[in-house]
Amino acid sequence: MRYGRKILLVVMLTSFALAPMAARANTIIADLSKDHISIKSNFAGEKLLLFGAVEATVDGPISDIIVILRGPGENFTLRKKEKKLGVWVNNAAYDIGPLPGFYAVASTRKLSQMAPANVLREHSIGANAMSINFLSSNIEPSEQAEAIAGFIRLKQARALYAEAENGVQIIGGRLFRAEINLPSGMPVGTYVTEFFAFQNGRLVGYQTGELPVDIVGAGHILHQAAYEMPLVYGIGGVVMACFMGWGVATLFRRR
Amino acid sequence: MQIYLPIAEMSVNILTLIGMGGLVGFMSGMFGVGGGFLMTPLLIFVGIPPAVAVATEANQIVASSVSGGLAYWQRRAVDVRMGVILMTGGIAGSYAGVQLFKLLRELGQVDLLISLSYVLFLSVIGGLMLRESLNAIAATRRGQPLRARRPGTHSWILRLPLRMRFRQSKLYISVIPPLLIGFFVGTMSAIMGVGGGFIMVPAMIYLLRMPTNVVIGTSLFQIIFVTASVTILHSVENQTVDILLAFLLMVGGVIGAQFGAIVGQRLRGEQLRALLALIVLSVGLKLFLDLISRPDELFSVTRMGFGG
Repeated sequence: MRYGRKILLVVMLTSFALAPMAARANTIIADLSKDHISIKSNFAGEKLLLFGAVEATVDGPISDIIVILRGPGENFTLRKKEKKLGVWVNNAAYDIGPLPGFYAVASTRKLSQMAPANVLREHSIGANAMSINFLSSNIEPSEQAEAIAGFIRLKQARALYAEAENGVQIIGGRLFRAEINLPSGMPVGTYVTEFFAFQNGRLVGYQTGELPVDIVGAGHILHQAAYEMPLVYGIGGVVMACFMGWGVATLFRRR
Repeated sequence: MQIYLPIAEMSVNILTLIGMGGLVGFMSGMFGVGGGFLMTPLLIFVGIPPAVAVATEANQIVASSVSGGLAYWQRRAVDVRMGVILMTGGIAGSYAGVQLFKLLRELGQVDLLISLSYVLFLSVIGGLMLRESLNAIAATRRGQPLRARRPGTHSWILRLPLRMRFRQSKLYISVIPPLLIGFFVGTMSAIMGVGGGFIMVPAMIYLLRMPTNVVIGTSLFQIIFVTASVTILHSVENQTVDILLAFLLMVGGVIGAQFGAIVGQRLRGEQLRALLALIVLSVGLKLFLDLISRPDELFSVTRMGFGG
């Protein structure tokens, strides 16, 4: 399969190079090292390689490339601790969303140097450019900003939000590659990849794709059962425990 | 070697988990206690979400109380009738506990409930155990064995209505006190992920006046059913039981318990209890300090509807 994908890429690149300039709608093509991510029981995170090629425009070669991997959108509850009666307890709660559970952006240089802030915001490039929706109303702007900063900090601490401003390397002026770290706590669902080519602050190339992320194997069966058949799952846990306990008692008495 | 826990949704080193199971199993074998009240805080300390730690630990206790209880069952050291009354209260209590747990989870306060319950119980139990064992050690030094303390008879409690004959325990008492004790311990079991033997056993001896030879067997017998009920209810209401995590803890736990029992037989009872008391107090102190010291990060995030 790895081979198949390489051949595909070669074919893509060749046809890309041969195609006449005018007929081309896009100046960037890209692919991933995997077409899906399987979280097996020994999953401890992995690296995803994103690669492709850019074609020079009439204005010259392209050197500003941005790669984004975005997890499925979810609503989150954010809580802030406060000291009450000497104990730190969750106090204020903010419901926010939908926001990606995972968000990684890699680029050839600082995002702010590639395009003006309004363009970045328009395409939701960078965690700070994401529009964060508060589902509860009447929250002071300063409080909102603090909560948003806290949210991004929490996600970064678990490697679920990442920004690498030198994360995309250009090879020979045409090919590019980027690596994104997938941590073990990544949420499951359909991820979206986005590839942007900028030139002089203008978007000149764009491609998007999908990357399904699933739990597989025994973990998948347990996860599925826990949420879809919780009664059967619970009884299963008890039966397993009874057998383990009984087995152990029998085993050690014989000795 | 890392293993991905499907409900906790995190990767943990498999040897860490088996080692923790082994360590707590060793201590429970050595001291003759269930170990849930040490394992749940330990799971929280390594980063398992508290709600998952509690529910999963209940599942593990089902296994350890089955393996411990079988020996008492075969020796006929179980008062089945008393066990059934206790577990009736216990199952009702576990239902109440799980509902309270679910409600506070939605409010984002379940971690606080778990921590506060632990700080309270660990400091009371640890303090009482330490005092009693230090007294015993001092008495042995003076050369006079300490007389077993029998607190004043609360016989009016046992003479409440709805009296029943418990042949195995040679008692004719009201079912109200065992129902209430069962209910209280069942609630605790659901909130803290413990079997509750450390409350149940003294309550049976001092409040119900049961003969000591059936106390531990009966306690283990009813713990099996109450923790089974806690496991199923948490699965249904909160989806917080991680069977894979429970399995790994069981593997470590049973091995540790066998070695612990061997070591425990060679050590002196009072010193052993003083040591356990110190461990219990230090776990309680750690949880207390975590509650009162300013956290590095004031914010916490959960998926909406998955509070706590």
